[in-house]
Amino acid sequence: MAKVAIEAGKVGALRVHATRRRPLRGALLEVVALGGGVILWEVLGWVLAMPWLPPFSKIVAALIQFIQSGVILVNVASSLEGLAIGFGISLIVGLFVGALMGRYRRVEKALDIYVNALLISPAMIFAPIFFAIFGLSGAVRIAVIIMYSVFVIIMNTATAIRTVDPALVEMASSFGANERQIFLRILLPASLPLIFAGIRLGMGRAVKGMINGEMLIAMVGLGALAQRYGSQFEASKVFAIALVVLIIGVVMNWLVEILDHRFTSWAD
Amino acid sequence: MIQIRGLSKEFLGRDGEGTGVLAIDSLNFEVRDNEFLTIIGPSGCGKTTLLRIIAGLIPFDDGEVRIDDKPVTGPGSDRAVVFQNFALMPWANVLTNIAFGLEIRGTPKAEYEDTARRLVRLVGLEGFERRLPKELSGGMQQRVGLARALAVNPRILLMDEPFGALDEQTRRLLQEQLLRIWEKERKTVIFITHSMEEAVFLGDRVMLMTPRPGRVKEIIDVPLKRPRGQETEKSTTFTEIKEYLWENLRSMQVLDQREA
Repeated sequence: MAKVAIEAGKVGALRVHATRRRPLRGALLEVVALGGGVILWEVLGWVLAMPWLPPFSKIVAALIQFIQSGVILVNVASSLEGLAIGFGISLIVGLFVGALMGRYRRVEKALDIYVNALLISPAMIFAPIFFAIFGLSGAVRIAVIIMYSVFVIIMNTATAIRTVDPALVEMASSFGANERQIFLRILLPASLPLIFAGIRLGMGRAVKGMINGEMLIAMVGLGALAQRYGSQFEASKVFAIALVVLIIGVVMNWLVEILDHRFTSWAD
Repeated sequence: MIQIRGLSKEFLGRDGEGTGVLAIDSLNFEVRDNEFLTIIGPSGCGKTTLLRIIAGLIPFDDGEVRIDDKPVTGPGSDRAVVFQNFALMPWANVLTNIAFGLEIRGTPKAEYEDTARRLVRLVGLEGFERRLPKELSGGMQQRVGLARALAVNPRILLMDEPFGALDEQTRRLLQEQLLRIWEKERKTVIFITHSMEEAVFLGDRVMLMTPRPGRVKEIIDVPLKRPRGQETEKSTTFTEIKEYLWENLRSMQVLDQREA
């Protein structure tokens, strides 16, 4: 519980950051920071000449080579497919279970301990069990993604629904609203800001789960590629893949942010 | 006519049992059709609980609540509530908030939009139809709350310290506006307040309640002529009733503090 609150706090900070970023000066600062990082990396890469820190230009070269050979496209597609299915299931299950837990005290009492325990425990611990259930199929990596992302969505949704101003529910009841109307017209819209915070956290965790699952179990997609070049000590290729994963993470977060803004701008 | 007979309500202890708090103890009173009844009493006299029972929002333990001889078992289309903290949906604009009750009751869209626009005019919020509650002052927010209640055209308006959260000037303006609307639309109003001026200025009768448990101390007629306005408060009758209320409330408060 405390953990979620802390992470939600982080998202809150992100949200503030996102709205402050809009002025040109903020955008400029970001570009300068990114450019500075790249230059520093490039210089350190040449000066130190360490095998584990290739200059940034070599990483870009490796990335271009990946793109030209088509290797990256195939693997990105494979990874995104897993992410879409896994995160999609997490979203549906997370919102449904979370809503039930938030609305009905008995459901919450029954499930709270499980959700809390599974939220904190490292998802990879369950990898062997997924293996035993699903064998060597794509389902394993989807199960890992779900394991990573579903609990934070459940937690935030439940908290969101539970903390809706009771005065609003009473107001709706006073006009004769039934349970379905109370849910759709009051509880759901009122909880959206917090639910979206959970979705964003869940998305971040899903990307992590995607790579971990692919690297350690499923041996497909970007994770498998990173694993292969990692064992061959091809640092520039590993960094190139990391860059791609980073971009995927940022783009996904940005997509959630757009939806969030579309539905919850009233709460800003 | 609203009839309350032997009404009692006890709030249970935290564990759902054990010694609870008796909020209301065998209340008896009636509210006549088209009457404006104000209810005043020290905090803890169960006035808000009483209002929520009449609204059908919470159950009671003993006695009966009847409206036109029919027992109250839940919320009904004959009643609408105006809430102390406005209870507006922060994500919905003024028009949507006002139309909420109609929409819940399945009124066709074209019809509830017409009604909502008419009420926007009635409470003087033209030009603010698309604004969100957070963009409005407290007084404007409660006008939305009032318009939302009036939109469903209830016969009975239940108002729970509706102007309690507003500053003095805004409160005065809203009191006068409420009376103007009430003169026109003629509804039965039960109005909870802890302001003595407000109780006398608005009410046909003032019901005085005792604290812990809530009982009816006295129901006082207010023979001030309508329509009421600035002149009303200068009359000796107004001052006398206000003073009488204060004497009573003061003795209750003193007693309360001695007990505590």
